[in-house]
Amino acid sequence: MARSTGKDAQALFHSLRSAYAATPTTLKIIDLYVGFAVFTALIQVVYMAIVGSFPFNSFLSGVLSCVGTAVLAVCLRIQVNKDNKEFKDLPPERAFADFVLCNLVLHLVIMNFLG
Amino acid sequence: MAAAAKAGEATLRHAFGNVLSFFILLLIGVLAFSIRLFSVIKYESVIHEFDPYFNYRVTQFLTKNGIYDFWNWFDDRTWYPLGRVIGGTVYPGLTLTAGTIWWLLNSLNIPLSVETVCVFTAPIFSAFASWATYLLTKEVKGAGAGLTAAALLAMVPSYISRSVAGSYDNEAVAIFALIITFYLYIKTLNTGSLFYATLNAIAYFYMVCSWGGYTFIINLIPMHVLLCIVTGRYSSRLYIAYAPLVVLGTLLAALVPVVGFNAVMTSEHFASFLVFIILHVVALVYYIKGILSPKMFKVAVTLVVSVGLVVCCAVIAILVALVASSPTKGWSGRSLSLLDPTYASKYIPIIASVSEHQPPTWPSYFMDINVLAFLVPAGIIACFLPLSDASSFVVLYIVTSVYFSGVMVRLMLVFAPAACIMSGIALSQAFDVFTRSIKFQLLRILGFSEADAGDGSSANVVPENDAVKVDKSEETIKERPSRKNKKKEKEQMEKAQAEKTSAKSKTEKRLLVLPMELSVIGLLLLVFMGAFYVVHCVWAAAEAYSAPSIVLTSYTHEGLHVFDDFREAYAWLRHNTEVDDKVASWWDYGYQTTAMANRTVIVDNNTWNNTHIATVGTAMSSPEKAAWEIFNSLDVKYVLVVFGGLVGYPSDDINKFLWMVRIGGGVFPHIKEPDYLRDGQYRIDSQATPTMLNCLMYKLSYYRFVETDGKGFDRVRRTEIGKKYFKLTHFEEVFTTHHWMVRIYKLKPSKNRIRGKMKKSKSRTSTPSSKRSGSRKKNPWQ
Amino acid sequence: MAKLLLYLTLATSLIPLFSVAFSPENPTDRRVLVLVDDFAIKSSHSLYFGSLTSRGFQLEFKLADDPNIGLQRYGQYLYDALVLFCPSVERFGGSIDVASIVDFVDSGHDLIVAADSNASDLIREVATECGVDFDEDPAAMVIDHINYAVSNFDGDHTLIASDDFIKADVILGSKKIEAPVLFQGIGHSLNPANSLVLKVLSASSSAYSANPKSKLSNPPSLTGSAISLVSVVQARNNARILITGSLSMFSNRFFRSGVQKAGSSIKHEKSGNEQFLTEISKWVFHERGHLKAVNVRHHKVGESDEPAIYRINDDLEYSVEIYEWSGTSWEPYVSDDVQVQFYMMSPYVLKTLSTDQKGHYSAEFKVPDVYGVFQFKVEYQRLGYTSLSLSKQIPVRPYRHNEYERFLPAAYPYYGSAFSMMAGFFIFTIVHLYSK
Repeated sequence: MARSTGKDAQALFHSLRSAYAATPTTLKIIDLYVGFAVFTALIQVVYMAIVGSFPFNSFLSGVLSCVGTAVLAVCLRIQVNKDNKEFKDLPPERAFADFVLCNLVLHLVIMNFLG
Repeated sequence: MAAAAKAGEATLRHAFGNVLSFFILLLIGVLAFSIRLFSVIKYESVIHEFDPYFNYRVTQFLTKNGIYDFWNWFDDRTWYPLGRVIGGTVYPGLTLTAGTIWWLLNSLNIPLSVETVCVFTAPIFSAFASWATYLLTKEVKGAGAGLTAAALLAMVPSYISRSVAGSYDNEAVAIFALIITFYLYIKTLNTGSLFYATLNAIAYFYMVCSWGGYTFIINLIPMHVLLCIVTGRYSSRLYIAYAPLVVLGTLLAALVPVVGFNAVMTSEHFASFLVFIILHVVALVYYIKGILSPKMFKVAVTLVVSVGLVVCCAVIAILVALVASSPTKGWSGRSLSLLDPTYASKYIPIIASVSEHQPPTWPSYFMDINVLAFLVPAGIIACFLPLSDASSFVVLYIVTSVYFSGVMVRLMLVFAPAACIMSGIALSQAFDVFTRSIKFQLLRILGFSEADAGDGSSANVVPENDAVKVDKSEETIKERPSRKNKKKEKEQMEKAQAEKTSAKSKTEKRLLVLPMELSVIGLLLLVFMGAFYVVHCVWAAAEAYSAPSIVLTSYTHEGLHVFDDFREAYAWLRHNTEVDDKVASWWDYGYQTTAMANRTVIVDNNTWNNTHIATVGTAMSSPEKAAWEIFNSLDVKYVLVVFGGLVGYPSDDINKFLWMVRIGGGVFPHIKEPDYLRDGQYRIDSQATPTMLNCLMYKLSYYRFVETDGKGFDRVRRTEIGKKYFKLTHFEEVFTTHHWMVRIYKLKPSKNRIRGKMKKSKSRTSTPSSKRSGSRKKNPWQ
Repeated sequence: MAKLLLYLTLATSLIPLFSVAFSPENPTDRRVLVLVDDFAIKSSHSLYFGSLTSRGFQLEFKLADDPNIGLQRYGQYLYDALVLFCPSVERFGGSIDVASIVDFVDSGHDLIVAADSNASDLIREVATECGVDFDEDPAAMVIDHINYAVSNFDGDHTLIASDDFIKADVILGSKKIEAPVLFQGIGHSLNPANSLVLKVLSASSSAYSANPKSKLSNPPSLTGSAISLVSVVQARNNARILITGSLSMFSNRFFRSGVQKAGSSIKHEKSGNEQFLTEISKWVFHERGHLKAVNVRHHKVGESDEPAIYRINDDLEYSVEIYEWSGTSWEPYVSDDVQVQFYMMSPYVLKTLSTDQKGHYSAEFKVPDVYGVFQFKVEYQRLGYTSLSLSKQIPVRPYRHNEYERFLPAAYPYYGSAFSMMAGFFIFTIVHLYSK
């Protein structure tokens, strides 16, 4: 039972890897960006767990800026992904413009909430 | 050629339809604005009720001192001596909106006073709200339904009751913000555009600024997302609609000082975070499903399920422990009383005592939404054929708002837009069916060819949308095209018209077999129903909901009699007392006293400090000497009571007295409610208990009352009072208004000498004069 | 025109009169009305009256039932103090009655009441209004069989020599009264709950109040040191009242006679009456123990203006000037126990004011961390001094949104992450736009 699950897990892992390698580079860059944001968020949570949550608003704004960036990047990825049938007539420039606007609003709010 | 001509005709009809819609919308706006002006016409342009006076005072401060001082304002004229930090405890949306309008108008050199702007803010925003309803319903069903829903919302009495000209309260702006947020959410859901998601977050921010009811939005939208996921309607547009809203929305909500960290710590927001996590999990699952082969996917599923189940349980256990262990950051009292209607009456008497927090009676439903009450179920059914994301959202909205409106009569206001949307949909569908069948029957009678029948059926924009929807539902429900695709679809439609029209007309023939007479009569009946609705709304607006409770009128045989006692009392206070004098009264009148009389009050309608209110309640329920001590320790100089016994005004302090006893008894156990009741009955006549006849409220209300008619007959309680002749030892009456509705008393300073124990040989009053040179106030009992 | 001139001259001529009269700037009484039973008292108590006139008082003697007497005319009080040496009056003449006497006291004027063994109900009622109860038995006198004064004839021990003084220099003067005081009259009792009355001379524990001529049928109600022989009352508006049950205590005879307490061998040449009564009437007529507090100021440390609102955790300074009337001028009052409270339903800060010995008191403290509407409260009540009750209201606000620390070191990682997100976004857009 365990060995079969082990072998299944390995097979799963391989197929995931191969499927992922097939994605275009643009999407991979976005995925990297998302990963960076999530990683920064995790660092901050660990820091807060150690030090305590004293400037709670700074903590919130820091974490939410990372989470927000990640979410927005995922949205961009969804819209730019050519496999996505729903968005096939959405010009990628329009998607990117929306993405930039949303990020601007996000960072404006973050700056306000940070201090 | 013919196609081009037909296309030209179609665009012309489009243009005509659009212009017509524009004018209709304009008229709806004017209607919404003008139906709310009855109170200005009947009385005057004055601010109503209690809460709006506070908002008005805050707006005055804002316009005079600017936004930085407003943001940091510490109000020392209320909740004496604790003060109130206005910047952090008020929802700034309404005041900032009105302040901006005033500033804009003034910079354009239109010198409207702040009061005028405040009075007319609500009607203006109700016009905006009906336009927002049009937009929302157009997203759900189409322009016809949108127009109908907007017209219904402009007039619905429930909304009128909270947004007449003069009712300058949070809901005036909040309902507009609510509908606009929902519209932008649906728009994002339909189009999948991040631009609308950003706008949605900003609209949500405006809603958070305006009203505490924003928790409704932040719980309804996650519920809807969950519903979509569970019913298998997950799509990436859902992710784009929801995820940025949660992140941006939480950040923006935390920016508002009133909400602050509650945006992440209170239980009302946990649902959104939970659904956020669930949404990500589902998105991940779908993504993996997309890139793996089905066999591997099954393997992945079994693996994850076995491992993930354990992790899930652990996470849920942690979550539950977190929520349960935070006693203060759990559900707030008001939210709990919404979920459990009996909670407030058991634990928080202050919330239970507010009349707006009582459950509504059945007739009030009919009064407030009238005809819509039985159009709503029809609308719900119409939403199911076909079911789209937007229509499932509206169904969820109406179901939840029906529940909450049944708990608290104040929330009928949230139910009203949902009811209007549903009824708009139902009415427009019904009209649709009738007019189409009439047209079809007419064409059949007049014997046109089938090709033209197809032509005729594409004349209206609305039925075409329906037809498109019918077609699309035959294919796949999931692959719903965005708005931009509509145009392409229309062109495709007209290309393949020949094959499609025959199929369509067949389906039409199957659907619309209504005979002509029936449809004509049905149409006429619908029109009549609409007319009844309009008549009722106008009546409700004119008679029922236009009373500024600050001025009362009654019709006697001599004509209209006006009772302006409240303003008389506040003006007396303003002109006859020192600026720093403190006035104690029950909390209902706090806002009006600070705004109109400009005097410091002890408690006001914000009711944030239960102990302070209980202190005032205890003082009102105690005998004179104990009450004097309590008021003296709070530096009170004047006490104000409202008394309706002479004219029959039923909302006076004697009727509210039991709440004072209950609230006071909740904090000071020596005040016991049964002491004031005789055999469980609340009476003030000769059968009343001695505690009741000796308490301060009784004495201050009925002092010298027997002089009015010789018998002391109280017109509200309908009985003669118990103790008729008595003197006040620690208070003195300084003002009673014309109809005895407001009575103001002053605390007597403590005696200059303390008398010896020997009895007086002759009876003479030994009370010293109140204006003594050089006398100091000193509490002998401290 | 002529009338106007007349009124002007009348007004200007009256001004010096007003300045001489009793006023907050000049608290010592000047014009005193003395009501007597008969004018013989004027001569039999001439030493006492002489001591008053030598200090500058204008005494006006009238019979108690003179139909022309009145305390006020047209709303103005004609006198600054009233002395009632008429224990047997049944009804006052003119416009005086108990109510007008009470109003006289309540408007800030002083009163001396002397009763005697023939005290009428009227005098007893005046005393009760002031807070003192004479013995209800009209024939009772204070008898003391152990501390009586030795006299040439066998008395019924109603002449008492008492030296049980209150310990208050401000009332009785700084010089110790060596000889006991002779007293013969009725006693009174005080309500222990009454905080305004003080026993200045109390009877010894062996005294009792009873009719000296009849046998005692039941135990007397007033006994021991509960009996007060001389009491003073200081009302809340600082009017002072002296009540005693012996008119003869003021007489020349008692002033001049020697005294020897029974059971003690010391024989004093002169009784303490003159010193005692002179000192105490100085106190009653506000020549001693009268304080005024002026010039209350508060400001933030380093500034000199008085702000309209403070902020929490501010440093502020409070100062007040207290003067004492010496009979002729205002002298600085020196004491080390004046305290100021920063009060909001309960005192958050209680500080003793430090003085510079010239009447200026000040204290520095930090505003507590609580916001609200506070009061600077000075409540100063000392035995024999007028009560000072000052209060000044001042609100205290919390921090403004820009009064917090700008950059918190503990939050640098968060700042860093936020900025790194912005930088990452910027880089990402460049990469995304320019990558093929």
